Amino acid sequence: MENLLEIRDLTYKKNLKTILDNINLNLQPGKIVALLGENGAGKTTLMRIISGMAKNYHGTVTISGENAIAERKAHLSFTDGLTGFANSTKIKEIVKFYKIIYQDFDQNQFEQLRQFMKLDSEMRLSEMSKGMREKLIIALAFSRKADLYLLDEPFSGIDAMARKKIINSIILWKPENSTILVSDHFVNEIASMLDEIVIIKDKTIYTHKSTEEIREHHKSVEDYYEGLYDAEEE
Amino acid sequence: MEFKDNIPIYLQIKQYLYRQIITGKLKPGKKIPSVRELAVQLTVNVNTVQRALQQMNFEGILYTKRGEGNFVTEDTTLLEKTKRELINAELDKFVHSMNSLGVSDEQILKSLSEYLKEEHSDD
Repeated sequence: MENLLEIRDLTYKKNLKTILDNINLNLQPGKIVALLGENGAGKTTLMRIISGMAKNYHGTVTISGENAIAERKAHLSFTDGLTGFANSTKIKEIVKFYKIIYQDFDQNQFEQLRQFMKLDSEMRLSEMSKGMREKLIIALAFSRKADLYLLDEPFSGIDAMARKKIINSIILWKPENSTILVSDHFVNEIASMLDEIVIIKDKTIYTHKSTEEIREHHKSVEDYYEGLYDAEEE
Repeated sequence: MEFKDNIPIYLQIKQYLYRQIITGKLKPGKKIPSVRELAVQLTVNVNTVQRALQQMNFEGILYTKRGEGNFVTEDTTLLEKTKRELINAELDKFVHSMNSLGVSDEQILKSLSEYLKEEHSDD
């Protein structure tokens, strides 16, 4: 099968410090993949590079056959925490902005997602809990038609109910041939929805494995992931 | 539905569906929920559900009508065979765990019949 995402010999430095070193990664269409690693391992940086937000890297990043940043952006959906909006911004105003910026933004789809997430259009960012904010980010992301959805730690610091809602929305709204790369530093609560895991450790891709393959060896994905760190401490 | 996390999920989905069929929650000749419905219901990946259903199609316990979805077989011989296999798998587990406690096959038989007698006299 042709790869949806291809990363070749990627190295990224910031202030002379190597953040990511010699990354090679292929993802196929139609998968849900977790990007795992400790805090500060470089997960967000890798997402920012894939999305074209971080430049000045060495190596190539190809999405659906495109490697120029502008073309790549048309194939992916990445929402970086809504940091560009003032706290007083209402949901409906953010939607208006998205409609102008992204031609592939589908307002009907957003309405369905908004109702599913039980979000009120009149609500301001300042009035939203962490869980509500993550739900909004997911609703915005899936209202765009993309080949690759990058979700940066949508599950950190939210309660079990919000997590369940977000997991279900991913299962329900992920287009069949699109791939989702979702970062997290825990895996147990999302393991059942994943096709594959990619672990960043020591500045590079430490492992890339199918979750069912791990289970075929009578191991849980969580034990496998934690085992990589335990081995080091011994 | 809670899955064991050290056994492939597609195998557990198959077990879950076999049970639904054997207990009549999914009836012979009737349509089963769509792939996405099952995925949401079980909180699993669509591809994993797909893999389980493909195997069950191959085994014949399910059949696909193009554009309509997956249906439970009406082949009673196959349904009975599936039920027997499920029962055997449970017995296997039971006998295995009794053996590992050092209980011999004769003792199992004896203990089991005594246990069942007691249980029924309680009713």
